[in-house]
Amino acid sequence: MIAMWKYLLKKEFKQYLRDPGMPRMTLMFPFLIILVFPFAANMEVRNIKLAMVDTDHSEQSGLLMEKCASSGYFEIVDVTASPEKAQEMMDRGKIDAILTINAGFARMLEGSVPAEDAIPLGIKVNTVNGTRGSIGSQYLNACISSYIMSKKGGSIPGSAQIEVRETYLFNRFQDYKLFMIPALIVIAITMMCGFLPALNIVSEKEKGTIEQMNVTPVNKFAFIVCKMIPYVAVAFFMVFSCLLLAKIVFGYGCAGSLLDISIFTLAHIIVMASFGLLVSNYSENAQQAMFIIWFFSMVFMLISGIFTPVDSMPGWAKLVSYANPLTYYADAMRGIVLKGSSLADTWVDLVCLLGIGGLTTTWAVLSYHKTN
Amino acid sequence: MDDRIAIKVEGICKSYKATRALQDINLEIKSGELFGLIGPDGAGKTSLFRILTTLSLADSGKASVEGKDVVENYADIRRTIGYMPGHFALYQDLSVEENLKFYATVFGTSVEENYDTIKEIYSQIEMFKDRRARDLSGGMKQKLALCCALVHKPEVLFLDEPTTGVDAVSRREFWAMLARIKASGVTIFVSTPYMDEAGLCDRIALILNGKIIGQGSPEEIRSRYPYKIYAARGENMFNILKTLRPLDGVVQCSSFGCECHVSVSEDGPGEGELLSVLDAAGINGCTIEPIEAGIEDCFIGLS
Repeated sequence: MIAMWKYLLKKEFKQYLRDPGMPRMTLMFPFLIILVFPFAANMEVRNIKLAMVDTDHSEQSGLLMEKCASSGYFEIVDVTASPEKAQEMMDRGKIDAILTINAGFARMLEGSVPAEDAIPLGIKVNTVNGTRGSIGSQYLNACISSYIMSKKGGSIPGSAQIEVRETYLFNRFQDYKLFMIPALIVIAITMMCGFLPALNIVSEKEKGTIEQMNVTPVNKFAFIVCKMIPYVAVAFFMVFSCLLLAKIVFGYGCAGSLLDISIFTLAHIIVMASFGLLVSNYSENAQQAMFIIWFFSMVFMLISGIFTPVDSMPGWAKLVSYANPLTYYADAMRGIVLKGSSLADTWVDLVCLLGIGGLTTTWAVLSYHKTN
Repeated sequence: MDDRIAIKVEGICKSYKATRALQDINLEIKSGELFGLIGPDGAGKTSLFRILTTLSLADSGKASVEGKDVVENYADIRRTIGYMPGHFALYQDLSVEENLKFYATVFGTSVEENYDTIKEIYSQIEMFKDRRARDLSGGMKQKLALCCALVHKPEVLFLDEPTTGVDAVSRREFWAMLARIKASGVTIFVSTPYMDEAGLCDRIALILNGKIIGQGSPEEIRSRYPYKIYAARGENMFNILKTLRPLDGVVQCSSFGCECHVSVSEDGPGEGELLSVLDAAGINGCTIEPIEAGIEDCFIGLS
């Protein structure tokens, strides 16, 4: 009996290592995740291309321009006196924002109240890319108010009365890379444990080897558990090599305990692997299985809070996210890696994850028997 | 050969949606027998094999292998049978030796323990033992598959179309191997679409469209053929067929390779009459001689 288990395992590992692509992929994946994706999946907004329309031509308008340029967020593309020219540049996508300084700006700063219909300052932002647009206009607003405040030494009508200073507790410099690394690990584990075991089983189905196995005394439980073990090993290898690489390359340590990470990872592997098995039970060939899993992974990723916060989603999407294992795994991983959350903080995630896992495993086991 | 029953099939029916794959199949296969299930593609051979090897369930009817019911005692059956499916179903990315070891281990035995059982066949592929199964030739693959099906010393061996797509020399070799396996006391249940292989079995069953249309030893089946049969040879086969088919007393007339088999009822035309009919139709230079009915004639006659 033990000899049988041992040989089943040996067979799976041999097949995994003999695959022309898999071992290389396993090694490459952590490097890609840590060294490439954090830069690509970056939501920080920098280098907002700005054009100035200056019809005031005062010293004040020049200083405001300098202030914007030195903030680091803006790249001054052009300074012109013609609003039409600036508009054309925006239409052609060459600039993201226009700051218009009209005549009377300097005088307003000196204390004179501008006429009703005269607007000394104008901001125009291209929001075709929504995030870039809204964040860009915030930065621009902040720049202008701080400049005006420094000149007037008080508040001005129409601008912010209270200055808000933000302090970030767990990611002090709002480094998007640090925020994304736990999420990218989550994606990698999801992809690997959702696709590979399912495709492995479907390919045995396609080649007919599963039939040959079914006429042996090997029971299905042993067969499937032995199939999963190599993938569990690879998943753990990926998680820890990602964390190690993040530490070496960026100096990001994991704030929480590695044991907690392992517990959550194992729970998530069970969920995804049983989901993959479930899909493979209903699929005749690799293409079907591939497409179904791809579809679900896509939905799981988009409605999980990995890229966009769950709280800002509409009600129905929130409901979907509650049934999504990735929501809990990503939440826990971010908590543990960034904030050092312990199981006492994340037990709700664990319970939900295990609940979903119990459901998919039961369904997978039941449907596996039915198809035979 | 003793009289114990190795495989018993009683009233097995199986349908796939609207297709009735097996209809009321009844068979008894004696212990130590080489039994052939013969029929064309789609006759239901593989369906019956899958039911007997516990891979699928029959809609109705009962079947047992070595006295064990295929539904209730499926786990025991799996230990006592060897199954070689119609397609090559070993691990292509494992080597010859690894495949063999793998199947020995999952049956709780080892290659060394049962080396005698497979020695003769395995010795022919042993020189390739480190080669991956996918890199073997068709004949080698088949030998490996047979080794893997035999490595746990099964009492009953199920071979589903083992010779389909195999060249003539390898086929003959394969049947010689089967004869030796049979001599060691293993019951063999083999299916094949080739009628000429029927003569190599102890007993056969003919299957068509999910029904058994005849069973017995090949001699019995041949002797049961009710008609006289002649082989007609000539240059223009099509004209011969066309001329002889509508004659009174000609029951069946079909082409077999380069000859045409003409089955004639008791009071039907004789050799000379057939020749004169052909002459009259302007088809010259034909020969006609009486022959013994083959399994294929019987099959066509029964269908």
